[in-house]
Order: sequence, then C-alpha cells, then structure tokens
Amino acid sequence: MTWLQKPICVTGATGFIGGRVCERLVQAGAPKVRAMYHNIRHAPRIARLPVELCRGNLRDLKSLRECVGEAKTVIHCALGDWHGIASDTGHVLQAAKSAQVERFIHLSTTAIYGFRPTPDCNAEEAPYRTTGHEYCDNKMRAEKVVRNFCRRGLPAVILRPSIVYGPFASWSTELLGNLRSGEATLIDEGKGACNTTYVDNLVDAIFLAIENEKAVGEAFFITDGERVTWADFIRAHVAMMESKPALQEITEQEATTYWQQQPGNWAKSWREARQILVGGELRQLLKRIPVMASVLSWAWRRYRDVDVEAKARFRDRLAGVSGGAAGARAAKYIPDPTTLQIQTHNVFFRIDKARRILGYQPRVSFAEGIRLVEQWLRFADYLP
Amino acid sequence: MSDRLRLAIFGCGAITCDYHLPAAVAHPDVRVAALVDSNVNRAQDLGRLYGLDCKFTADYKSVLGEVDALINALPNSLHTPVNLEAFHAGVHVLCEKPLAITAADARTCCEVAERSGLVLAIGMQRRFHANHRLLRLALDEGMLGPLQGYDWEDGTSWDWGTKSGFYFSRAEAGGGVLMDYGVHLLDSVVDWFGPVSRFEYQDDNWGGGIEANVILALQHNGPYGNLSGRIRLSRTYNLKNRLSVWGEAARFEMPRGELDSLVLFRRISEQEVSMTLRFSNGQESEAASPYYAQLDNFVASIHGRQRPLADGRQALAIIQLIEECYAKARRIAEPWVEIGEAASKASA
Repeated sequence: MTWLQKPICVTGATGFIGGRVCERLVQAGAPKVRAMYHNIRHAPRIARLPVELCRGNLRDLKSLRECVGEAKTVIHCALGDWHGIASDTGHVLQAAKSAQVERFIHLSTTAIYGFRPTPDCNAEEAPYRTTGHEYCDNKMRAEKVVRNFCRRGLPAVILRPSIVYGPFASWSTELLGNLRSGEATLIDEGKGACNTTYVDNLVDAIFLAIENEKAVGEAFFITDGERVTWADFIRAHVAMMESKPALQEITEQEATTYWQQQPGNWAKSWREARQILVGGELRQLLKRIPVMASVLSWAWRRYRDVDVEAKARFRDRLAGVSGGAAGARAAKYIPDPTTLQIQTHNVFFRIDKARRILGYQPRVSFAEGIRLVEQWLRFADYLP
Repeated sequence: MSDRLRLAIFGCGAITCDYHLPAAVAHPDVRVAALVDSNVNRAQDLGRLYGLDCKFTADYKSVLGEVDALINALPNSLHTPVNLEAFHAGVHVLCEKPLAITAADARTCCEVAERSGLVLAIGMQRRFHANHRLLRLALDEGMLGPLQGYDWEDGTSWDWGTKSGFYFSRAEAGGGVLMDYGVHLLDSVVDWFGPVSRFEYQDDNWGGGIEANVILALQHNGPYGNLSGRIRLSRTYNLKNRLSVWGEAARFEMPRGELDSLVLFRRISEQEVSMTLRFSNGQESEAASPYYAQLDNFVASIHGRQRPLADGRQALAIIQLIEECYAKARRIAEPWVEIGEAASKASA
C-alpha cells in the first residue's frame, strides 16, 4: 500500500498552499484526506473536494489528535498566529507522534534566515539566527521543534519554499491591487531576487519528501530554480493588465532614509495629540463645559487679533507640519520596511540538495506559472 | 388562536439572530412563544438579548402543541421532517429556503400542507425587496423595449456567520452555492421571466463535495417570450455582483445589496445616461426590512387576508430545477489545476 492509499491529514487546508495540497491529493487518488480547518468560513474551496473536513485548533491538542486520527501522513501547512508558530507546531507534532505517523511534512520558509538573507544562507546547513522579526524567528524556532521531534523518532521533513505563488495566492491578487492604486514600486530597478516557487512545484516536492526515505530529518530549499527578479514578477503582472500602469521607481537608499526619519512611538503620539488638540471636534466637546467655554472664548478673542501669517505659522507648528517630509510622502509611495527587505536581497536559494536527494525537478517554469495564474485571475474576476 | 399569533422559531443560527427574530419582535400581531435550538444556551442568549419571556428548549416536539405557527430555520436536511410534524400538529410554517433538499420531499411538504389547510410560506425573501417588484412593473411597462437577455453575477468570499457549519455538509445542506443563494436568484428569474425551458449547468464540485462556483445558462419561456440569461455564483470570488437585464432600447442594473432601486441605462444622442428608479410611495419602505414584510405576509396568509408571496409550489419548482442541474452537471473548466493532475498521476 502506498502512502497515498493511507489516511492523510492536511493542516491549514483552507489556506492557499493547503488547499492546493488537498486538490492534488484528490487528483492523485488519495481516498482518505482529512482536511483540517480553523474557521468554517474559509472552507468553500476545499468543500468542493471529496475530503473529510475536520475542525482543529492549533492550541487544542485534543482537537488536533481528533483531526490527525489514523493518518499515516501529516502535511503541516497551518500557520496560526505568528507569536505561537513554534508552540502550535509542537502541538501538531505531538498529535502526529501519538498517532505514530509515517511521515510529517513541515512547511517552513527561507525566511527563517530573515527577509533579507545574507549570501552565506544559500545552503540548507547555514546555522539558525535570530533576525528580530516575529514571523521569521518563530518559523525558525518551529524548525528547531520539528528537529527535536525528529531526533525522538518522528520521521519529519522540513521544506523551505520562498515566494510561493499560483492561483489563490495573495502575492498576485495584492500586487494587482497595488498596481491599480499606484502602490507597486520597483526598488532598485527590481533587481532583487524573487525566488518564486510555483505552488504545484512545491506540492511535487511535498509528495517527493513523503516518498523518499533519505529525506527524513533533512531540510530543503524549494524554489522554481530560476533567477526570477522582482522586476520580472511585477512586470509579468503589469503585462496581464489592459491599462499597463506605470511603475514607480525608488532606490533602497531613498526608502531606507525615509523610514529612518520617521518618528518613534512617543513622537508619533505627540504628533497625533497635537492634531486632536487643533481639531474642531475636541473644541466642541470642551465648549460643553461652562468654564472651558469661557476660557476658549477668551483665547479665541486673543487669537483673532494675531496677523494672518503668524496664525498660519502657529497652526502648522501645532499640527507638527515641518515642510518637505509630508510633501515628499504624498508625492511618492514608499514601500514598507518589510517589503523593502524582501525585495532588495540578492540571494537566489539553491535547490541542488532537493534535486539530489528528493529527485525534485521544478516542472512549472516561471513563464508557465504566470500563464496559469493569469488564467485563474481572469476566471476569478481579478482581471477582465 | 389567541389575539396575537404564538410563534416559535426553530433554529437560532445567524439567519434567526440577524433577521427572523428582529422581525418577529417588531411585529405587533406576533408573540414569540418559543426559541428552539439543539444548543439551548444559544436560544437563551438570544432570548436575553431581546428580553423575551418565552420557552427555550432543544425539544422542538414539546413546542408544537403550544404554538400557532413556526419559522423553520433549521439546517436544510431538517426542513422536511420538522415541517411534516408541524403540519400534523396543525401548525403553519414559514420555512427557510430551500424548502427541502430533494424535489420529492418538497412535493410531500406541499401536499401535506394543502391537505391540512395550513399555510406553507417559503423564505425566498427577495420577493419582498422593493426592486424585485419594481423590475417586474418596469418590464411590463416596456421600458427596455423588446427584452434580449440578462446576466446575473453574485459572488463574494464566503462570510456568512454560520453557527453550525452545516452548509459544508452535502448530507445536511443538500448542495453548495446553488442550493444556498442560488435558490433566491432562480426564484427571482423564474418569477420575472417565466419557467425555464432549457439550461446548461456547470459547477466546480469535484465529486463528493459541494460546489463553490456555478455557471448556469438558462432559457425561459414566459411573459416576454423566449429569453436567454446567465447566472454565475461564487462562494470563493468577488464577482461583479449585479443583475443586468437588457432590451433593444435600454438596460437595467440592480447592484447586490440594493433592495429598493434599479438603475436604468439608455442612450440619448449617442451618450449613455442613467437614472435611478425607486418607488416614491412611502408604503414601499418595507424594503428596509424584507424579513418583516415576509413575516407580515405569512401572518396575513394565516388570517386569510393574503396568499404567501412565495409558497411551497413555487419553491418546489425551484428545487426541481436545482435537482435537474445537479443531475446534468458538467465540471467548470479549471485549466490551472490540470498541471497537477498530470504530475500526480505520474507520481502515483
């Protein structure tokens, strides 16, 4: 009996990757797929399939044990809250260990090395590091938990995809929204490494990792194996659009400088407080207090006699307007710091190890992947 | 029967919480006598929210002898058995759509209600939207000229606040988006354009699941002759979410969420112009609460003053159509999934 014939549990089945994993399992003829969901509202996509829907909570070991049931394979796609990624993964591992599963696939990410990895990360054996980002660091800790369970006999495999795209992926739907609103920007001409992973290539890798005994205890980078840049990815989406929106350009230096100049929390709070103070709503409220009404009336009479230019300077000072920054901000969209990190590194993750041990061969090229995404975007009404 | 109709509501899920109970509490001729739910705490919580002094129970049978009428808002598969028990107890029923999950069950409900002389009204509440009636009047006035066709898209990322989740069980729901929101749209187009003479139905049920997407080409033979139209439904995608009906002279659009107005588009000297139509008579303000109007129609039907605007026989026709659609379903082409199929077969 192959692994496909035995019960399989997919966590995070209502998500983009988990949903596709379920579809592929059904297409491959798996007779018993338990699709774990957290919120039934997200279930329409997988409810199309002949799979068993089971409600599970990553914080509730009992529910996880019920979802895993008699599964012999667990494919862990669920993410949960960022701060709980490691402990939640631990709960799924416990449930899987209790069920004596024959394979546990843990979907990790290249982001365990941060959103802006350094060149020495380009091998799976690069040591773990803390980056200060909640998502990256907790995904890294989750890998450590998986390795602990593996040492205690759970046959687990870690897969580290990067930018996973395909039908249902927010990378494409959000990018179209950003292109329409003028918020899509090429940073440093978009030369940064995109490391695309078409979702079906990832599912191929998952299936290979389940089948291959040599995979146990190993971690693998999984990408399309092409040197796709962010300019390639973004321009491929522009090409789908009739309006062909113009892309803004910005340098990393420019954006970094902007964010460095932004005030911290205390300064922001003071700025907001000042804006509330000059706002009419607060003044109206204060006027309802008789004493305050008298004070405000006195202040207004004094203010009325000040000359126009002085009034303007006073209003600006109170509102915290200091000239160029606000104007610059309005004129050009500045990518947020995370996007800045993701799109400006030059590390193309190598997939040699996956090729060698798993026999992984990305079958969907970037061009083909984009063609499929475009078909889906048109069907789903994201494009006319 | 006492002065005020003693009403029970069976099923305290989202539809009761958001619509049926507020309408019942507001109706002067109705007294909510019982709230029934398998989770009695949910019924009690809802009762507390509205300050109701009524019976809260999980045992619906214990309620049947104590009420004049009930709203059946239970999961779809329970509609028929509970309706039949209600009729045997002499209780009038306003049943949420769909009336049943098979045409045979729907027919039985109709026959038993008719034999018992009891009212069977169906919650196909689009009939109570002012613009449903407005469109019929406008078409009868010939405002579009000879009718040519219609296109209706309704789809959002599913966000209905279901309490039980029965919508995703074929056994309990009887189907997917067609059996759910599709009932409303089919009821409307059949009411406007006449019975369906031909159809081609596609959905994305992979076999053994329930459909999230539907594409349905329809041909009607009714008051405006032969008319073709298309309905697209989705629980996964945000579609255009509007009905468009066009004729030789102009077209109407009815956006989703608009209950009381229609927008007329026509050309004047090669320029497209639009105007919004709505009843100016204040009595049409029931559009603000179609569920209240629906309940009011149910109460008036029980008292013999009206007939149910959406009755069991009309619901039966819709269930028959849905049953035929499922029987002749073709899979919607999803070419982006086929890449995996080839790969999986190779892998297996």
